[in-house]
Amino acid sequence: MSELLAQLAVCIERGKVNKASPYPPDLRGQDGAEELTKQALDSGVAPSDILEQGLIIGMGTIGHKFSRNEVFVPDLLMAAKAMSSAMVQLKPFFESGQARHKGTIVIGTVKGDLHDIGKKLVAMVLEGGGWNVIDLNVDVAPEKFVETLKQHPGAALGMSALLTTTMVNMEETVKRVRQEAPSTKIIIGGAPVTDEFRAKIGADAYSPDPQGALDWLNAQVA
Amino acid sequence: MPDKDLLFAALRRESTPRPPWVPFVGVHGGCLIGVSAPEYLRSSQRIVQGLRRAHELYRPDGLPVIFDLQMEAEVLGCELRWAEEVPPSVASHPLIAGGLGDLPPFDTGAGRFPVAAAVLRELKKDVGHKTALYGLITGPFTLTAHLRGHELFLDMIMHPEQVHETMNYCASIACATARFYREHGADVVAIVDPMTSQISPEHFREFVAPYVNRVFDCVRDLGAFSSLFVCGDATRNLEAMCRTTCDNLQIDENISLPELRSLAQQNNKSFGGNMRLTTVLLLGTENDAKLDAIRCIDQGGDTGFVLAPGCDLPYGTPPANLIAVAQMVHDEYQRDVARTLTASSLDRFDDITLPDYDALDAVTLDVVTLDSAACPPCLYMVQAVRGAIEKVAVDVVFREHKIRHRDGIGHMLRLGVRHIPTICIDGKPTYESVIPDVETLARAIEARHREKRGQ
Repeated sequence: MSELLAQLAVCIERGKVNKASPYPPDLRGQDGAEELTKQALDSGVAPSDILEQGLIIGMGTIGHKFSRNEVFVPDLLMAAKAMSSAMVQLKPFFESGQARHKGTIVIGTVKGDLHDIGKKLVAMVLEGGGWNVIDLNVDVAPEKFVETLKQHPGAALGMSALLTTTMVNMEETVKRVRQEAPSTKIIIGGAPVTDEFRAKIGADAYSPDPQGALDWLNAQVA
Repeated sequence: MPDKDLLFAALRRESTPRPPWVPFVGVHGGCLIGVSAPEYLRSSQRIVQGLRRAHELYRPDGLPVIFDLQMEAEVLGCELRWAEEVPPSVASHPLIAGGLGDLPPFDTGAGRFPVAAAVLRELKKDVGHKTALYGLITGPFTLTAHLRGHELFLDMIMHPEQVHETMNYCASIACATARFYREHGADVVAIVDPMTSQISPEHFREFVAPYVNRVFDCVRDLGAFSSLFVCGDATRNLEAMCRTTCDNLQIDENISLPELRSLAQQNNKSFGGNMRLTTVLLLGTENDAKLDAIRCIDQGGDTGFVLAPGCDLPYGTPPANLIAVAQMVHDEYQRDVARTLTASSLDRFDDITLPDYDALDAVTLDVVTLDSAACPPCLYMVQAVRGAIEKVAVDVVFREHKIRHRDGIGHMLRLGVRHIPTICIDGKPTYESVIPDVETLARAIEARHREKRGQ
């Protein structure tokens, strides 16, 4: 069984969605994440094992490669696509409580910023890493972040901005969250964001890449 | 004085007596005249007003006409969402549902291009003879991302031929936009292609380089300088970017300027950047801005380097910070002062103490200078002090603290002096960068003397 999950992890890492997918060329015609997840569930593998020994391993491998600049956005998106094809089959087990998330994170791009590629990648990696991701999508006002955090006590907050002109809006959200949901852990990212900027606005963490965000979140619940 | 010839010399990789300076004033121009980004970016009158103000305050050698990477996308049918203090964002991607044949024909008479034409026409008249005007065009890769959305990244793997087709189309749009800017008088045409920071060097070489090269060749044929701006951490693509056929490369703070300098020089390109936009220019102090300008100026060197912020200036950037940068650009003496202070920024000067001025009979004049032997304003200030001492009939202790030396910098910090030169009377900065006449200073010394004696 561990071999099936190891194969699943490889499919996630390499972005092999399903048997019909021509990518990657060297896995053409072979089962992908979709088929392998189904086989694992049919053979009675616990959904939590599929998550932990398949998806998390696969996404972790590609996430670390992304951090090291060994792979790039297109590769990570393919991996995320493969992961989604597995995740959709695991969803009912999360809903019934048979599988558990490590925690919840509310995520979105800041007010004025519609560029969600980075945020989308982070959401996918976090989800693949076992987190419940509440994605508020793009152009999220500070009050919307606060309202959602109040509905999900204990959730962390992740914000991203692609533009130097919008990243400053993170400061307002951090202030509001500190006032109204003070125990929230806040992590920020996005192309122009730096750790120096994080320190200036008082967020808890900055990550230049999705895997760094996942590692930081995991450390918060360890 | 702004000097576009100096900028052109740098773009030709010649050495320049001072760094040419191009503040990327986009929506920040709206802030300068108190209007929102949507009002600003839709009105040629407002943009002209904002850029005139920027010209007056920042004394730039070059200025972008409009910094808005959504103009071509808007004409091609992308829906835009506007916000108060930022350029608009693309909210819909027409190539998700349709093909290239479904897009409206590209026309530089449509959308906000007439606004850009009017801005160029006006600015050419009053600032164009001394300041170069930049026409910024959306890079083909970023325009493809606007049209196709994130699917572009998956297409690069799953449907590369489609990506090539769209890039080819977007390069044609970029050439048409370059022609438009050049015909209306732009001196420099820059491709701004931030999305390329997200891909690998292999993908850059395959999907981006052939198309941007086509545009750069087109700009060259039009007789303008060409530049490539990439915001974001494009370090891994730096070498591939340097191998494109542009004249100049501009980068942001995520990239090492010395690394760019070395690669650009190897590839016969001028280069520039990379002042920190948010932590320094937006959120920092004037002093932070000066020190960051000096960092860039010293790292960039005097050959083929253009000082600029890393990307589009945030709306609310304090003008004082950019004025401080302009001071560094135009005043060699101020650069010297800033360099000296930078070198000592980590020293806490715990060993330097000030006397108990109130306990001394004499009035103490601490004069903080760069060096009165070498700097004319410092010399005039010291001469004023000597003249005043001769005039007064009270005991005066005169100390010059030259910030060329550690002791001088320590005294500057202890005394709370912020400008050079400054005269402090019994520890209080009294004449900052203003040289008093001898009579005025003599009266101030006597007044302090009476104060100490309780008179």
